[in-house]
Amino acid sequence: MKVGVVGLGKMGLLHSCILNTLPGVEVVAVCDRSWVIRRVFKKLFKNALVVDDVIKMVGLGLDAVYVTTPIPSHYSVVKAVYSNKVARHLFVEKTLAMNFGQAKELCDLAESFGGVNMVGYMKRYAVTFRKAKELIDNGVIGDLESLSAYAYSSDFAEASVGSKESLSRGGVLSDLGSHIIDLMLWFFGDLTVESAAVNSVLRSGSEDAVHFNVKAQGGIFGEVDVSWCKREYRMPEFSLTICGKDGLIKVDDDQVILEPKNGDLRKWYRHDLGDAVGFLIGAPEYYREDEAFVKAVQEGSHVEPDFFEASKVDYLIEEVKRRRMGNDSQ
Amino acid sequence: MTVNRSMTLLVGDNPFHGISHLSQERSRARGAEMGSIGYLAGLVETSLDNGADGFMFSVSDVTLSIVKELRKRRSDLGFEAYAIVPYAYEYVRASTHTGGFLGLGKKVAKDIIFSGNVKAAAFGVKGIVFTDIAALLKTYILYELHRIKSSAGKKVRVKSILLHEILTEMALALDMDWLVRAYIDFMQKLKMSPGFETRNFPYLVKKFKEWNIGFEGLTIATPFNKVGFQMNPSKEECEKALVEAEDANVIGMSILAAGYFKPIEVVSYLKELKNLKGVVVGVSRLHHARDTFRIFRENMK
Repeated sequence: MKVGVVGLGKMGLLHSCILNTLPGVEVVAVCDRSWVIRRVFKKLFKNALVVDDVIKMVGLGLDAVYVTTPIPSHYSVVKAVYSNKVARHLFVEKTLAMNFGQAKELCDLAESFGGVNMVGYMKRYAVTFRKAKELIDNGVIGDLESLSAYAYSSDFAEASVGSKESLSRGGVLSDLGSHIIDLMLWFFGDLTVESAAVNSVLRSGSEDAVHFNVKAQGGIFGEVDVSWCKREYRMPEFSLTICGKDGLIKVDDDQVILEPKNGDLRKWYRHDLGDAVGFLIGAPEYYREDEAFVKAVQEGSHVEPDFFEASKVDYLIEEVKRRRMGNDSQ
Repeated sequence: MTVNRSMTLLVGDNPFHGISHLSQERSRARGAEMGSIGYLAGLVETSLDNGADGFMFSVSDVTLSIVKELRKRRSDLGFEAYAIVPYAYEYVRASTHTGGFLGLGKKVAKDIIFSGNVKAAAFGVKGIVFTDIAALLKTYILYELHRIKSSAGKKVRVKSILLHEILTEMALALDMDWLVRAYIDFMQKLKMSPGFETRNFPYLVKKFKEWNIGFEGLTIATPFNKVGFQMNPSKEECEKALVEAEDANVIGMSILAAGYFKPIEVVSYLKELKNLKGVVVGVSRLHHARDTFRIFRENMK
């Protein structure tokens, strides 16, 4: 399977490494707009073509393309890949697009071109979140009643007021919050945003801390908190606490805790959940995600989350922003 | 099979950075609890007094301050140092704050120039002009070595500089045998053991064999524990690879599986691992340091 990677930042490099270790997969072309990056990567990718424009990947016989550019360019790059027939199968790093309108267009394009499509919400491939989903689906805590979730990091906890450091990352909702939103959609199905507040910490108009309330099917009430200005979150942390009629489940990247109303508390660490992968770089979930995409391409099957499922995250982010009116504080 | 031999015992620095691979909740608690540089140096010193042969650390401002403090306290004794470069967390953060790889590159270049290490700067100029990745790596190693020696003094024996797992895994995944070779040659010229940290030990062994790179004189730090935590692709494959790389100086990391086990519970498993030459373990309290290294000294030395 021949793969091209567009965008050679952290994620582009990570996926390239994993793909190269997967049996039968080869990264044969990489693309970045920066000539400095291209110069360095020509040395690193000795067996791959290094180009400055996705159009130059036309005719290379690529089976799949990974789009790992910054979010604002996803829309144009994905469109270019499809309309120029660079490849039939596409993986796009989260979020699918800058807004729901763009995401919807990309979904339509994907549908008309066929092939496998996937968006990089890799938390679905973390063993702890998978275990929690299994417990919920098996009705271990009974009918669901409420949930609370957070996504925190210290990325800008020490940035000074007025700092422009976060500009290249967009807002905290797309950057960090999209993962927790995708997990909630995966766990509970469609959500409705009830209210939202967006705080600007770094500078006027920046989106640094967001709190919003949601309602899921069956009237389940949920509270979500997202911030990249939290102290002591050395690594980004994603957590969900789900209350059911018969107990509670708390899950994060490292552990799952089950507290049944009648019965003993149970805890699973990654250690207990078979976390080994074929090649570990970054986190095991990246490998599982890429393995699932490649398998779907090779077998012509479906993989989660596809563009359609991922577009729901873009929709919800837009809804949170729309609902924030009158709730902002700076 | 029980093997009767003496293992190198190293104290690690993960708890000093507030790292716990068991849970991030524990990481935060540790981060809040970790005391002054004096206290952290005391943890290393207590470990050394109770059987540790050396200190394995990521080169960062915190660990260099600890090493500096140890230099004052143990001027007569010294210790063995195993340094891991780069301190990836610091660089990932820097990349976040400087807008990606380009900003990070500029920052590192600035740091090297201001370190005043002429040799490193010379390699760096060559590396930049010719986009010579091996020269850039050498520049970086010299710069980090300069930082270590400035803090540690002459008594400290830098046994090995280990490439952080991110660099090792990248080199393995992208078939950068030329870079691995250049690094090994360079380290041997510096009369230090070329080191690699990896969580893909069997993959490394397979690749090095393909590339005809011998294991003699290499230091490899990689997880070994009873539950296969971070042992990829499996515990069994890692144990098999250990037999195949018998000439390497393999140091077991994550031996307690991030606090999943107590030291006494892992002794028999580690002793059964033929070819495991040493272990590294982190401690966060003085009594942990005393007890952990006393147990390992009594059972594994």
